[in-house]
Amino acid sequence: MFRWKKLGKIFTPQEATERPWLKEFAQAPATLVLADVVRVYFSCRGPADANGQYISHSAFVDLDRKDLFRVIRVADQPILALGGLGEFDEFGTYPVSVITDGPQIRAYYAGWTRCESVPFNVAIGVATSGDGGESFTKLGNGPVLPYSLNEPFVLSGPKIRRFNGRWYLFYIAGRKWKLVNGRAEPVYRIRMAHSVDGLQWTRADKDLIESRIEEDEAQASPDVFFANGRYHMFFCYRYSSDYRGKAGGYRIGYASSDDLIDWQRDDARAGIDVSEEGWDSEMISYPHVFTVDGATYMAYLGNQVGREGFGLAVLEGALT
Amino acid sequence: MSAARMTWRKRGQLFDPTKHVLPAQCEQFAQSPQALVCDDRIRIYFSTRARDERNGKYLSHVAFVDMDRGMREVIGVSTSTVIPLGGLGCFDEHGIFPMNVLRHGDEIWAYTCGWNRRVSVSVDTAVGLAVSHDGGLTFQRRGDGPVLAASLHEPCLVGDGFVKVIGGVFHMWYIFGTGWKRFGEGLPPDRTYKIGHAVSNDGVAWVKEEARQIISSRLGPDESQALPTVVEVDGQHHMFFCYRPSFDFRTNSARGYRIGHAFSDDLVDWVRDDEHLQLGGTPGSWDSDMQCYPHAFACDGEVYLLYNGNEFGRYGFGLAVLER
Repeated sequence: MFRWKKLGKIFTPQEATERPWLKEFAQAPATLVLADVVRVYFSCRGPADANGQYISHSAFVDLDRKDLFRVIRVADQPILALGGLGEFDEFGTYPVSVITDGPQIRAYYAGWTRCESVPFNVAIGVATSGDGGESFTKLGNGPVLPYSLNEPFVLSGPKIRRFNGRWYLFYIAGRKWKLVNGRAEPVYRIRMAHSVDGLQWTRADKDLIESRIEEDEAQASPDVFFANGRYHMFFCYRYSSDYRGKAGGYRIGYASSDDLIDWQRDDARAGIDVSEEGWDSEMISYPHVFTVDGATYMAYLGNQVGREGFGLAVLEGALT
Repeated sequence: MSAARMTWRKRGQLFDPTKHVLPAQCEQFAQSPQALVCDDRIRIYFSTRARDERNGKYLSHVAFVDMDRGMREVIGVSTSTVIPLGGLGCFDEHGIFPMNVLRHGDEIWAYTCGWNRRVSVSVDTAVGLAVSHDGGLTFQRRGDGPVLAASLHEPCLVGDGFVKVIGGVFHMWYIFGTGWKRFGEGLPPDRTYKIGHAVSNDGVAWVKEEARQIISSRLGPDESQALPTVVEVDGQHHMFFCYRPSFDFRTNSARGYRIGHAFSDDLVDWVRDDEHLQLGGTPGSWDSDMQCYPHAFACDGEVYLLYNGNEFGRYGFGLAVLER
C-alpha cells in the first residue's frame, strides 16, 4: 500500500508580478529535473476579455532541487507563441508536457481554437527547445495529433513518455458534447498512441480507463509512471455536470498495467483525496508524478482546477 | 511527358436546382456534382443549401439527381436525407460539401468534406468517410470524426477529397489550407489552399505526402486550388481542378474560378497544362463568369466533365464531353 503525504501549496500565480499573461491559474504541472532545479511547466491565464473568455499560456517555475518549496525563478515569457489566424492553437496553449530528446527538449501541448456551436476545440501540437527548455519552437503550424475517426474533437491533456525505446503519448479525446442547462460541456476519455519518432503516431484507438462514477464521466491528466515492474497511472475524473464545486468536481484516480494497453482501475488505491479545509478542500486534479533525489512526488491542482496554483505531496510506501 | 490537345464539347447546363423541388427545405445551389455510374442510370450527388434557422447562415446538405446513362434525361431527384449533418461540435456539423463516392465491393463509400464554423475565421473543414449498404440512397458514418484532417504542415482546411483505387492502392487527392490572411484593411480573412495527395491500403488509414503542393501555382502563392478530380484517358492520368486568386473572387468575374488541368504518367509528377483544356465560359449564359468544381468520369466509352457555373453553382451544373 502507498499513500501521498501532502506537503502544501508550492506556487501561487497571484503572487507573480510584471507578467500580464500570468494573473491566475497555474494548471497541469509537468516537471523537468535539471542539475540544480526542478523546472515545473504549467499553464496560466491573464485577465478574461470583455466576453469573459481567457487565453491560456504555458510557462515554468524553477524550484530549488534541495528545497522544492523555494521558488528560484519564474519564466519571463510564455514558452510558446500562440498560433496564427485560423490555426489550431490560436486561442491558447494548455497543457504542456516535456521530455528530453538528446540535446533537445521536446514539448507536446494542447492548442485551443474557438468554435461557433461549441465554445472551443483542442488538438495536440509539438515543439522543441534548443535552450534548455526556456523557449520552444513549433515543428509545424498544424497539430501532430489531429482529430480522427473515433476521436472527433477535444484532443487534449498530452503526457509524453518514452518506454523501452518507444514514444508514448497519453491524452484525452472528446466523446460527445453534452448540453447541460443550455451550455455545451465536453465529455472526454483517456486514450493513448505510440510512435517510433514522436511524429507519426499509431493510436491504440480505445478508452484506456473505464468510467466509474457515471456513464458520462470526464477523465483527464493521464500521468503514467513506471515503478517496481509495473506501469502506474494517476489521472483525474469528474461528473459531467455541476462539476465546478465540491460534489461533482475532480478527484484523483489510479490504475495500473503491465503492458500500457490494458489497465485495471482502482481509485481506492490512489492514496490522496480532498482535504478537510484549505486550498485543496473542494477538488484535486491534474496529478503529475516525478522522482528527484530518491523521493517520489506528486504535483497536483486544488480548488477551481488550479486557479490559485498547485501543490506537492510525497509518496509514502511503494508503488506496487 | 506531353499530352495531346483536349477538346471538350459543351452540352450546356444539365441540372438547374431552381427548377426542382429539393429535400430538407433546400433551395438553389447544386454544387460539386459527383457521379456514381449504376446499371440503369448515372446518379449525380451534389451539395445544396438550407438556411440555419438559428442564425440564417447556410447549411450544405447532400442530395442527388438520377440521369439516364446518356446524360440527357433527368429520371428523378432524391426526396429524403442522403446523409445527416454531424453532431454538436463535430467536424461536419455545419455542412457536407462536397461528397465523393466510389464503389467498394457491394458497398458505396463516400468521402465527405465536413464544414464547421469558427470564431476568428469563418470555417474549418476535414474529410470524413461514410458507407452505403443500399446502393447509395443513404450513408452511415464510419465514425464521428474525420479520416483526414489538419496535420503538422497542413494547418487548416483539409477537404475536397477525391478517391480512386489504382493498382490496389487507394489514392486521395485533396486540398489543404496554407493559411488565412487579410488581403486588405477591414477585409475579413481569406484562405489559400493547394492540392495535396495521400495514399492508403484500406481507404481508412491514410499517409499524406504532407504539404507537398503537387500542382504548380500559376497565379503564385496566393492562388487557391480546389476540388481535384482524376480520370484516365488513353493511359494517361488527367487531373481537373478549379483555381482563382485568394481574394476578391466572389463577385469579380475577372477573378472568379476557372478550371485547370494537369496530367501525369506516374501519379507522382504532374504537369500543369491549363491551355490544353479549352473550356471557357459562354458569354451571357449560366457559366459566363465562373467555371468551378469539376468532376470527370468515364461511362460507355465517353469521358464526361461535370462542373458548376456562375455563383459557385447557385444555378446548378453543366456537362462537357471529351471529343475522341
